[in-house]
Amino acid sequence: MDKLIFKVRDLKKVYDGKIVLNVNNLNFQEGKIYAIVGPNGSGKTTLLNILNLLEKPDEGQIFFYDQEISNKSNSDTLEIRRRMTLVNQDPFLFHSTVYDNVAYGLKIRSIPSKVQKSRIKSALNIVGLSGFKDRKANQLSGGEAQRAVIARALVIEPEVLFLDEPTANIDQKHIDVVERIIKKIKKEIKTTVIFTTHDLSQAYRLADEVISLLDGKISKKVPENILRGEIIEKEDGLKWFKTMGNIKFAIVSEKVGPVYISIDPRDVILSYEQFQSSARNSFFGKITKIIEQNHLVKLEIDIGIPLVVIITRESFFKMNLNLGSKVYLTFKASAVKLY
Amino acid sequence: MDFITEGMYKAFQLIFTLDNEIFSIVLLSLRVSLIAVILASLLGVYLGFLMAVKDYWGKRFSISLVNTLLALPTVVIGLIVYSLISRRGPLGVFGLLYTPSAMIIGQFILAVPIIIALTHSAVQGIDKRVRNTALTLGATETQSAWMVIKEARYAVLAAVITGFGRVIAEVGAAMMLGGNIKESTRVMTTAIALETAKGEFGFAIALGIILLFVAFSINILLHYFQRKRV
Repeated sequence: MDKLIFKVRDLKKVYDGKIVLNVNNLNFQEGKIYAIVGPNGSGKTTLLNILNLLEKPDEGQIFFYDQEISNKSNSDTLEIRRRMTLVNQDPFLFHSTVYDNVAYGLKIRSIPSKVQKSRIKSALNIVGLSGFKDRKANQLSGGEAQRAVIARALVIEPEVLFLDEPTANIDQKHIDVVERIIKKIKKEIKTTVIFTTHDLSQAYRLADEVISLLDGKISKKVPENILRGEIIEKEDGLKWFKTMGNIKFAIVSEKVGPVYISIDPRDVILSYEQFQSSARNSFFGKITKIIEQNHLVKLEIDIGIPLVVIITRESFFKMNLNLGSKVYLTFKASAVKLY
Repeated sequence: MDFITEGMYKAFQLIFTLDNEIFSIVLLSLRVSLIAVILASLLGVYLGFLMAVKDYWGKRFSISLVNTLLALPTVVIGLIVYSLISRRGPLGVFGLLYTPSAMIIGQFILAVPIIIALTHSAVQGIDKRVRNTALTLGATETQSAWMVIKEARYAVLAAVITGFGRVIAEVGAAMMLGGNIKESTRVMTTAIALETAKGEFGFAIALGIILLFVAFSINILLHYFQRKRV
């Protein structure tokens, strides 16, 4: 069995009297890639900061290879802190060249400059910034800066690499690049990577294991159908959630503006005919995937965007559903959970 | 009017013939003020940094105290230091009065609040992510603090240069503590005051031109660093 690199026990973190993190038992194995998913404010970043020893928990313990690390001062944990590193969601580059930025972690470890040079070269290579070493940090685009901070982290050859929302603030082209870098790290360096994301499909694409956080707690099931979009108010005063492909869900909400929502796949009713009901959301779509899970069946239905729906095995056979079957999806406005 | 033109003529003559007396006065001025500012920077940058990053009891009071000290008149500094180091004072045994060391002490006291206040605001303006980024990359507390100062380097340098500009141009403390003794504690400002009073305009104007030149250079340097801050 693989070694456990982190063990988290009865961890609690409180901000302003509110429990933001409450994790009873969580293990991370050496060399694996973990994705932590969950909406804004679910405690992802706090968990990362505590594991990386930037913040201290209010209760509980963290073990790094069986060594208790959570309640020590920064100077006591220096050796352990130097075996891991974290890349922030909003990356910061020092006001100097890309080279100097990448060199920082090596300089403070007093690594000989000859060794520094070759390690910096290969780190810049991995993130595809070979020609950028003399570039000033403030001349980089958002995506380039994100890659530079990943190089700055990789160059110190950490045993654990934390990435907080590595693709949150950059364009699609750079998202692909960053995803490729993560895959490359997995293949070539075998560092344990723990990253957070809003994007469930990204999590499954990249990670060996997906950990779901909701309201600071590990949730057994990963929330399906997490969508990012915007709440708009129509003339009649009703609120709608609008997402990609101009798809709109009726929702119950006080606020407007950008949000994440999720729809519990068990709250969706399938039917061949559209029916009159009090439920305000009704969509027509085609079944694109069928996964049987014990007495339940998980369907992926394309309504312009893919939605996951879970029904019982009995209903599945009774309705005689197949790949490509066209069905109506109906769910109440209150089934849309806002974050 | 003639005395001014004559004075100007004499001044340029003194400067371009590299007059010995003039230049030993200039060198002493630079030496005293540089030592004072280097010492003041060691303390001022450190305290200004701590005031910006640490939370401690009486923080607000200490900030307003430093800001008040910015307005400390040089003659008051002269008076206080004089009373401490004069032969009857508590530090009289060291025999510091009317020596360059006494002037350095006075200028040090003048420069410290300036450097603290400007370093404090420079470090406060630095992105809070600098420290965390340094820590996540494995820095010790000292290394991360050093990185914050490095990020603020241009503004901190500007603080030091401002301090230097202030002390090299002051006359009150230098006069009271140094005593304006020829070839010992006579600096540019005290010499200008004396020579003007004596009617030796040429000598005074020559020193005035050099002092202006120094002040001007300091301002160009300051401007350069302030622009680099971005």
